[in-house]
Amino acid sequence: MRSGRLWMFWLAAAVLAGAFVFAGAGLDFGYVIPKRLVRLAAIAVGGVCVALSAIVFQTLAGNRILTPAILGYEAVYLLWQSLLLLLLGTEGLAALGVGGNFAVSIALMLGYSWALQRWLLRSGANDVYLLLLLGLVLTMVIGTFTQFVQLRISPGEFAVFQGLSHASFNRARPETLALSALAVAAVCLAARRSLPVLDVLALGREQALSLGVDHARQVRRHLALIAVLVAVSTSLIGPTAFLGIFVAHIAYALAGSSRHRATLPLGCAVAIAIFLAAQLLVEHAFNYQTTVSILVNLVCGAYFLALVVRGRGTA
Amino acid sequence: MITVRNLHKAYGAKTVLSGISTAFPARRITSLIGPNGAGKSTLLMLMARLLPPSGGEVLLGGRSVAGIRTGEYARHVATLRQSPGFSMRLTVEELVAFGRFPHSRGVLTPEDRRAIDEAIAFLALEPLRGACIDEISGGQRQMAFLAMTIAQQTPVLLLDEPLNNLDMKHAVQIMRALRRLCDEQGRTVVLVIHDINFAANYSDHIVALKGGALHASGPTGEVVTEARLRDLYGLDFEIVRGARGCLCNYFNPRDN
Repeated sequence: MRSGRLWMFWLAAAVLAGAFVFAGAGLDFGYVIPKRLVRLAAIAVGGVCVALSAIVFQTLAGNRILTPAILGYEAVYLLWQSLLLLLLGTEGLAALGVGGNFAVSIALMLGYSWALQRWLLRSGANDVYLLLLLGLVLTMVIGTFTQFVQLRISPGEFAVFQGLSHASFNRARPETLALSALAVAAVCLAARRSLPVLDVLALGREQALSLGVDHARQVRRHLALIAVLVAVSTSLIGPTAFLGIFVAHIAYALAGSSRHRATLPLGCAVAIAIFLAAQLLVEHAFNYQTTVSILVNLVCGAYFLALVVRGRGTA
Repeated sequence: MITVRNLHKAYGAKTVLSGISTAFPARRITSLIGPNGAGKSTLLMLMARLLPPSGGEVLLGGRSVAGIRTGEYARHVATLRQSPGFSMRLTVEELVAFGRFPHSRGVLTPEDRRAIDEAIAFLALEPLRGACIDEISGGQRQMAFLAMTIAQQTPVLLLDEPLNNLDMKHAVQIMRALRRLCDEQGRTVVLVIHDINFAANYSDHIVALKGGALHASGPTGEVVTEARLRDLYGLDFEIVRGARGCLCNYFNPRDN
């Protein structure tokens, strides 16, 4: 029953993927289909990143209405993009190239995450809530800086910035994709070994400690893995904001179990299916008049509101 | 046997425990009693290593627990906090299986399965085995958490108010189970408990705290006396001893 649902979602994702690659392509293997395969790969890598990072983050935080975005990774990304436009202009962006921008963005987000945790550890606090609070404040501070920078750039550059601040699968290049896939595969391998540990961490700090899990060390380790996933997905496809919550909740509802063995693979399938559906709609129904981000945020925002209203007191 | 030596705990300028030295005898049930804010739960948390002490040490069989790795400690001492209000979807069996984590790190061996079956049978939870823990009653959930702690198969169990929010029947069930754990399996049980009558009737040894200091400790018969309890709780007690145990009556104190 449970694995049946998982297979159903992978099947749905596969059907959507087939439709995405072949719809209206006229079997043009020279140009259209290779281009679409790159986007498909970006969707797969991005989906896995969003689902894994959101579910693991919710487990660590013991809270189901959060995503790693609250730690400010996406804010750092947006500040960097706007600074890039301010200092170097669109020519500079072009000179840096998609690959260069990708690499620098990842490095910046990892550095930010490292500094955040380092600072917290040095202050002796070992508290997930303090980390969340700090992340939230930094997100707002960095967001204000970004807005300030936006005031200084030209309207043309602002349009480019707007493009960068929405999730899009068109930015991915085979080289950046290969790098991302490698990083995500490494994280998945590490996460696979810690599936039972994640289940114990979900019981809360005290119960995890009395079951022999070094809580502080495991939280640090998993936050580092999350940082890699978020850095990769944000650099590859842009900020995804709400999507993680949406994906995690569908996975919890469908898995019928809170074991990470069940929720993580299902979450990946759900995220990929949602991305594919949104991209199909953008390409064929809306004819590029809207973006994946807008569609996803519209649906996820509505779902999130419903969740808060319906689940008040239990969430 | 767990001993604590000159244990202190302070939060900033506020001292919650000062200079506690006492022993918790092996293969016995010891109740930690005392009024609210006496430091009972804090003492238990220090023994469980969920909090670091500000001074002094906890000894497990003569060895300071500060030097024991978290993973190893969990094979010696199992702790159950007041079970959290909990939104995970897990079956009772899956929850109990967590008790085996310190032994098998999540990959269950046939021996683990046997321990899980035993713990479930020990508390007669077989009918609930496949039930989700967010769908059963508070008392049943408490039993399921206790089964997890039992499945951990540690010589020492530390329980923080295991009778909290339970009706009399569930409370008696849990206390009888603890008695059997101690008598049949030779485990050491230390529990924080508010109901003086359960403490008096089920425990072998009592440690009484008041205002963060040790008030009394010793075999139950020595600690549960009218004078001692009056002093501890600031209430007038009448102790009635009958064929089925003793009853500490504090419901209608005499005004003096």
